[in-house]
Formats: sequence, structure tokens, C-alpha cells
Amino acid sequence: MGDLFDDYEIPHAVGHVAWDEMFERPGVPRAGAGGLHDALQALSHDDFDSRCAARDRRFRDQGITFSLSGEERPFPLDLIPRVIQWSEWQTIEAGVVQRVRALEMFLADVYGEGVSLKDRVIPRRLVASSKHFHRTAYGIDPPNRVRVQVAGIDVVRGHDGRFRVLEDNLRTPSGISYVIENRRMMARLFPELFAVHRVLPVDHYPARLLAALRAASPRQHGDPVVVLLTPGVYNAAYFEHAFLAQQMGVPLVEGRDLVCRDNVVYMRTTERERRVDVVYRRVDDDFLDPVHFRGDSLVGCPGIVNAAREGNVAIANAVGNGVADDKLMGTYVPDLIRYFLGEEPLLPNVETYRPEDPDQLAYVIGRLDTLVIKPVDGSGGYGLVMGPHATDAELAAACDALVANPRQFIVQEVVALSTAPTHVGDRVAPRHVDLRPFAINDGQDIWVVPGGLTRVALTDSSLIVNSSQGGGSKDTWVLAPQSGDDDGGRLLARSVATISGTIPAGAQLDLGPMPHPNNEQQQQQQQQARSC
Amino acid sequence: MTWRLRINHESGYSYAAPASASYNEVRITPLTTDRQLTLEATVTVRPSPPSRMLRYWDYWGTVVHAFDLHQPHEALWVAGRSLVETNPATRPPPSTWAEIDDPETVDRFSEFLAPSAYVPAGDGISDVADELRRQATPDAAVTAVVAWVSDALVYQPGATSVQTTALEALRGGRGVCQDFAHLSLAALRAAGIPSRYASGYFYSTPDAAIGEAMIGESHAWVEAWTGSWWGIDPTNGVLAGERHVLVGRGRDYSDVPPLKGIFTGGRSTSLGVKVELTRVA
Repeated sequence: MGDLFDDYEIPHAVGHVAWDEMFERPGVPRAGAGGLHDALQALSHDDFDSRCAARDRRFRDQGITFSLSGEERPFPLDLIPRVIQWSEWQTIEAGVVQRVRALEMFLADVYGEGVSLKDRVIPRRLVASSKHFHRTAYGIDPPNRVRVQVAGIDVVRGHDGRFRVLEDNLRTPSGISYVIENRRMMARLFPELFAVHRVLPVDHYPARLLAALRAASPRQHGDPVVVLLTPGVYNAAYFEHAFLAQQMGVPLVEGRDLVCRDNVVYMRTTERERRVDVVYRRVDDDFLDPVHFRGDSLVGCPGIVNAAREGNVAIANAVGNGVADDKLMGTYVPDLIRYFLGEEPLLPNVETYRPEDPDQLAYVIGRLDTLVIKPVDGSGGYGLVMGPHATDAELAAACDALVANPRQFIVQEVVALSTAPTHVGDRVAPRHVDLRPFAINDGQDIWVVPGGLTRVALTDSSLIVNSSQGGGSKDTWVLAPQSGDDDGGRLLARSVATISGTIPAGAQLDLGPMPHPNNEQQQQQQQQARSC
Repeated sequence: MTWRLRINHESGYSYAAPASASYNEVRITPLTTDRQLTLEATVTVRPSPPSRMLRYWDYWGTVVHAFDLHQPHEALWVAGRSLVETNPATRPPPSTWAEIDDPETVDRFSEFLAPSAYVPAGDGISDVADELRRQATPDAAVTAVVAWVSDALVYQPGATSVQTTALEALRGGRGVCQDFAHLSLAALRAAGIPSRYASGYFYSTPDAAIGEAMIGESHAWVEAWTGSWWGIDPTNGVLAGERHVLVGRGRDYSDVPPLKGIFTGGRSTSLGVKVELTRVA
């Protein structure tokens, strides 16, 4: 018998006992995580280690890597999944959908009538001074009115157990390929876990994305041509671009494969040029079209912005979305939700100050050592100053930068991010995690892939989880609800506890279709599960 | 009295080696505003694009013609012909500093108050701004800016380029209409007066006879907001009136370039700009 979790302790962070995703208190798993806990606890160290080795081998063979400051490394998947309760997931899902709806309306407004600015929901000067407010996108109406085909909304859970939004990603959010690959890997390595837990599937994401992209086509005919535009193999997320193109069955193209003529985009193929209806671009705005943005860009497609303006092609996500995911703008999202939707926000923001407001600047300047300072348009954790861990010199520099350019920063309370048991070295220790749920908007519905990317700060007590800062990830489970209670995984805990031993060689588990829990097929599956 | 002006604006490039994959945007069509009515406007391009051009209004309200050329060509020629009715200048009613400093005004016109690449903030400007703020009213300050710029700059074609910023022009002490406009904007914005770059054409003879054609140039002046927008021409020291034909407005030159684009091919040489204005009524 194993002892994986025996010495596990829940740590303190910034003055609080962190919320642990698996343990309610030491030794006592949370409702829903019990089955997983018992099954893993039953594994021997050797067994666990051999599965770790199998993971590394397979990731390396498949080339599933992430670029860390220029170096390619296997994406570090921690083999202890993170479980999200069904009831918790419903809040996250509804909160993400609500946020995306409001952000879509805001973007349509900012690049159109500007009513929310006239009504002063957001100061016009903040929009006008956003680096990602692209005036060239003004007046471009996407064919199905969708600008945010894909959103990644980063949420964190504080010591009180509440999820809060850290930031929105509405430009080219990445990470979904890891969500899917992590699940595949876990299903290979731990088929027994999936046999007894009803984990909501993630692998239909590419099909949903393709459907949303097709729905964005300006030409209403049966078979729109969708392409995925990548900057190329040197991009940090190239693996994901290739993965998604392959999964969706659409061409993976670079700028030189496209040509724009008379405001129509064509793809060069060996046979002929084919008209392109939808470009799922993973190229940043600045490089997308040298006619309107950086004239020296070689990875874009000259003319594509005016092709979209004329309504001949859809660009997904739309040009200029960055104005809405500017972190300073994020502080206004609760107001946007109230203004556009007439609803109260379902997910609160992490408490954030706006140095741009002189009163708030005065307030934060005296206590920067307890706060986090972030550039409004930084991503991947670059440029972030974590007050409690910063040196005096770093704090002084951050202070000067704030005073000199208050518009360029936000300041946040440090969240004692929740922890999850994580395999580090030869033991299991608590590590801080966040969550990036991915939402897809097809114009009819906004769908959130169950779970999302859980990122793990692999350094002890670090609160920075970005994979570009050396973070890892976890398979993230949303367990289908039980009838009568929402204690997802516990049902079969006893039988799971008896499963141990070696991994079946080359085990592959066909998880089959896992439909949404609200429909009848799921009811049947639940019946089957209870009878075994 | 209303004037009616016919404008013929030609410009272009020649290429050291034939150009292809050429994508361009043209902003040469006069606006219709409360003091200007555009009766006719056409844009012609040689070699002619294979299909009609895309025409749209940009964020700043300027008419844009966009076209692309793929057949190799040795020169590009663009012409805009238009017929415009213009009206005499009117001075706005006097305003107060309180009106200008109102936080709502500041937020509404933040784009026309913030520094930009061509109109940076700088030491040489803040002293002037202090002086301007001592004027009784913002509109008096606008008049004072024009006087200050005429002292600070000598009109001298060729002394500056299209890339010259307001501060560079100030240091050099000379420039053309674009520099006069940028330097005026720098002073106005430093004094908290919302102001924008105006691009268009100017008929230089005040008492032109009907039917008299003159060779002109593209021109630039400024518009200031002192309770309402009004135009003033720092190069000529006059209000923008019946002799000014407005094509576009923006924060600075970069928002209203008459012709911009990218292409593949040999080095391009400007064929120059030829503007002919005829007063027809």
C-alpha cells in the first residue's frame, strides 16, 4: 500500500490557511475528491513513479512541449488531477458565460456607437489610451457579430474558497491543447480512474471551435473554408496551432500562404487558389496586416483587415479585442455586466486598484509590499512585481514606474491561491494553482469546456503559475452530478480503493461520448454506473 | 459669401524596379461638414485596379479609398477631383477656462489632449502653456498660440520632412504648414485646450476671380475646441474659412496621410504632389 498523501500539510499563504483543492483538512478529502484520493493513496511509490516515467516518455515522443525563455521543454503534467465539484463548476461556467457576453457587447460598442462611453460606464480616456484599441477596427462588423470566438478567463480561488477573475484573455488565448493532451495522457496512464469517475469530457473542443468558426463565415453556403493562421514554427504556441488545425481538419497556413486581392482572401494551394472564408488567426494584431499595423511584419497577410471590413472574410478572434482585456479595463467588467446585461456579476474580480485614479494611487503607494503590481497589457507573468517577495530596490523601481505611468499598471491584492497536492521530487506537496476555463462563442451559444487549464506553480510557495514562468499543469476534472446530491466522485470510492498494481501495457480507454449531464443519455450512464 | 472650388489633386510614385503586391489607402476626398459641402468627388488610380475600390469612413470620419494592385507596374498615379462649397469663417462665442477644464470635457476629448508621436510634450512647450493659461479666455489663448507659432517658426519649404515632430521643428526654428500645425497643437494641448490636426487644401488668393485657377498644395491647419470646434490656420495667420477645404482630421499627420501603402518592388520615388484649385463660384 502506498502513502502518497501521508505527510501532506496545507500551507499558509499571505497570512491565511490556503484553500486546498483536495483536502478539507489534513487527511480528510473534500466531498467529491474522496474517490480520487483513495485510489491514488492505494498506489505504491513504484507504481506512481513508473507512470511518471511513462508520461515523460510519451510527451517527449509526441513533442508536446512549451517554450520557456527560448528552450523547449516537455509540458510538465502533474499526475494528480484537480477535481472541481459540479456545483462549483456551474458557478464558474455561468460566470464565464456572463463575462464573455458582456465583453462581446462592450467590444461591439467600442468599435461602433460608443454608447457605453457616452454613458460614462468606462472613461473614454481609458479606451483611447489603450495600446490595443485599434481604431482601424472601427466600423468592422463581423458577419455573425461575434468578436470573441475563443476566450480564456483566468480565475483563482482564495482562502475563502471563492473563485475570482484574475484577467480576461480575448486575443489569442492558448493552452487548450494541453487540456486535451493532459486528459488523453491521464486516460492512458490511469484508465481505472476514468472507469469509475464520470469526468466530463474535453475532447470535443476542436469540433465546437470548428463549428463556431464556420458559423462566423460571411458566405452562407454549406462548406466555408476555414484556415488556421500561425506565425510559424518559432512561435511558443506552435504546437497548439498544429494540434488544433489537425484536430479540426483545417489547413495550417502562414502569412505567405495567403494572398489578398480586391479585398478577398485566397489560400495558395498546389492546384489553385482557394477563397478563404474564415481565418482563425494565432498572429497578434500588430503583425496581422502590414497595411494597417507594423509595416515590417512578414507573418501577416497584407489587405486582410480591409477584406474583413468589406465583409469578405471573418477574422477570429476579431482585430482590436485587446482593448477589452487590458487589465485596467478588466476592473470595469462588473460595471459592464450591470450596464449591458442588467445582471449582477456571478464571478467577482480579484480586488484591484487603479493607479490611474490619483486617490487609489496614493492608497497603494504606501503598501506596495503587500500588493501585486502588473502591467496592464503584460501576459505570461512578465513584468509582474509580487510585493511581499520583492526586494526594496524592486519595490522602489515599481513605485517609480507607477508614478511615472499610472495608466500602464494595475495593483492587486495578493490572493492566497488555492493549493493542490502535486508530485514534486519524490513526494507530494501543496502547490498553488489557478484555472483558465475556455469559452467558445458561436453566435448562438457560449460554451465553456468543462474544467480548463489548471496551472501549477511548481516552486514551493510561489504564487505565479504561468507556464511561461516555469509552471506546470494538472488534468482538471469536472465530475458529472449524481442524482440526489452533487458529491460526484465518492460513489465508487470503495471499489476504486481496491484497484492498484501495474498500468496495463498500452492501455487505451475509449471514453466514448460523454454528453452534457442534463440530457437523457447521461441519465442512462448514471444508471449503468450505479449498477456496476 | 460661399465659395465653390474645384480641386484637382495628383500624386504618385515611380519605382526603380516594377512594383507588385501593392496595397494602398488614399485620403483625398473632401468632407461634408456644417461649413463645407462636397458636391462631387472622384478618385482615379493608374494602373487602374481590376475592380472597384473599397470606400469607407475611418474612425476619424475621413473618407478612405483602398485598393490593391498585383500586376507589376513602374509607376503609381492617384488623382482626386472634387467640387466643394465652402463658407466664411465664424469665430466661436467666448468660452471659459472652467468649461475647458471640466472633467467631462477632458475625458470626452482625451485623444485631442494627449501627446502623440508628432506632437510630444516637452520643456519648450510647458513655458508657453503657462503663459497661455494666463489669457482671459481659451479662445484668446488659441489666437495667442498662432501668434507664438508665427514667431517661433519661419516658413521655409525643405527645412523639415514629413517625419519632423513639433519639438524638432521648434528647435530648428523653421518648417512648413505641417510643422506649424503640429507645434500649435503641442502648445494648445499643453494648455489643456482640445485640438486636432486638419488636413486639406488652401486657396492662397483672398480675392480670387471666378474661373481663376491657381497652383496650390496640400495644406494643414488646426481646429481647437473652446465650447465648440473652430479652425485656425497658423501658417497663414487666419481663421479657416472659405479658402480652406477640409479633407480629414486627427490627432496629427499620421491619422490623415493622403496616400499610404506597402508594396513589393524597387525603391520608390515620389512623383511629387500637384494640386490645382479653381474658384468656380
